[in-house]
Amino acid sequence: MANWTVATKRMAATVLSADTWLPTELPEYAQGFMYMLGSLTASSFVVLILSGVLLAMNGPASWSYNGAMHFVAATHFWAVQAFFFFMMLHLWRVFFTGAWRGGRGLTWLLGAVAFLVAIPTAFTGFLINGDLYSQWNAVQAKDGLNALGLGWVNLTNAGQMYGMHVVVLPLTLAAIVGLHITLVRLKSVVPPYPEPAPAVSLQERRGDA
Amino acid sequence: MNGAHPDVAQDYQQVPEDFLKHLLGTLVIVIGLVVAASLLFSYPEKQPLTVKAYATQHPIAFEQVLLRALDGQGQIANYGPPYNHGTGSVQSFVQARVGVLHPVNAATDFVLKPLRMAASINPAIAPALNRFVGASATQQAAWEAQAASALGHATLRGGSVIWPASAAGPLPQLLNAGLSLGRSGLMSGALTRNPAVFTRFDSQNTLLFLQGTPLQTNPATQTLAGPNWGIIHPAVNGYPAAWWMTVPTWIYQWPAVANSAAPDALALMIGFLFWLALALTPWIPGWNRVPRVVGIHRLIWREYYHRRGQVGSRHHERSPVSVRE
Repeated sequence: MANWTVATKRMAATVLSADTWLPTELPEYAQGFMYMLGSLTASSFVVLILSGVLLAMNGPASWSYNGAMHFVAATHFWAVQAFFFFMMLHLWRVFFTGAWRGGRGLTWLLGAVAFLVAIPTAFTGFLINGDLYSQWNAVQAKDGLNALGLGWVNLTNAGQMYGMHVVVLPLTLAAIVGLHITLVRLKSVVPPYPEPAPAVSLQERRGDA
Repeated sequence: MNGAHPDVAQDYQQVPEDFLKHLLGTLVIVIGLVVAASLLFSYPEKQPLTVKAYATQHPIAFEQVLLRALDGQGQIANYGPPYNHGTGSVQSFVQARVGVLHPVNAATDFVLKPLRMAASINPAIAPALNRFVGASATQQAAWEAQAASALGHATLRGGSVIWPASAAGPLPQLLNAGLSLGRSGLMSGALTRNPAVFTRFDSQNTLLFLQGTPLQTNPATQTLAGPNWGIIHPAVNGYPAAWWMTVPTWIYQWPAVANSAAPDALALMIGFLFWLALALTPWIPGWNRVPRVVGIHRLIWREYYHRRGQVGSRHHERSPVSVRE
């Protein structure tokens, strides 16, 4: 049996290297706004964590009686909107560029899992906000979970939802997003589809003539 | 190696990049957008429905909620797992197999226990409460049936519910006492009471008490209802909500799902299949070639193809090949 320590050491040398995480060059095709969408999604996640930590430090209902925390709660709300907005644009970009090609299937799969986990992560946040939207969605969505045999997840229990929202789900999501980004760094972003050059260059020839 | 993947271009150059600047740039953009939106729009808050508000605004309907909890006709009273052994909301065998995880006895938890607590403040309630609790199940059911009929003809006078003469035993007095408790603002405390701990993390019983008629007939929840595409709508008009739930919400609108005996189980399972198709895209033949056929990648990589076309047509040169994998 192979030496696990040697294998881990070898893998860590690549995964944790400055070359992996601090690239000084990138492929020529990976430029422009389309290639900012993943980073914009990750940046939104960072803002969510920062604003979420501030909210957690001050208690789940602090926004309701403290003006500063009310503002932090607002940033948390808009950051989740930004997160899903950029994630959705990122999803469209990676789909239409066939980003799973070249052995990047696992990167795609992890992205899809991150999307799936992000949904309950956001939803549990809406539930602990404590307003009418929280009440309504807790009692409506409980039937779905109960029907699937997932009744142990008690959407009407604010304590359980608080734990899910600030610990269980964000940690899970951060781990999945971390793996997703690691694979992107290791494998780089997918190169273009090979297109026959004449199809693109025909107009150029006319232009040159 | 890219060489093993014929559907991946190999002729491209590496260009200089400042990755940290890129990351910091996107972070600044998001912070700017989020702070601006927060300053301009704050965020949507809709006053929650409280037991006190419902009891104050809808006294007769409130007593009907109490009565349905008591006679087992309420949604939670007859819900089934994970709350009790009812059958009214059991959608699948899995739900039935899960069993009772969060026990709720609607009659006891929603009505009798709160009334017992109220009786310690207002001893006048105690005789009626003792009479009801001490009666046989048959007698209780008979009173409940009479009360259900009589309450339909009750009137309001000076904020009080006036019951017509009936054979409902102690129930008119008990339900009026329950209304007083609801109006006092103390009932949510009685509903969430857990003598084992002083913390009040579990809001289950207050929400389940309100989950039927009180929330479903609330004018503010009508746009949030399932047939109106539910969760993707905000409680406060003009704000975004959970729009990323559009696909499962859309599935709820399918007649076959909406009219099913198990709409929630069906909608969520179909929604999961949609996600599965997305997640397994790389390995689904045909579907994984759709992007190439659609051709939007030509727009996204327009400049790359443009440069490559120029190079190919003018000089038949290849850019230096850079293989990243």
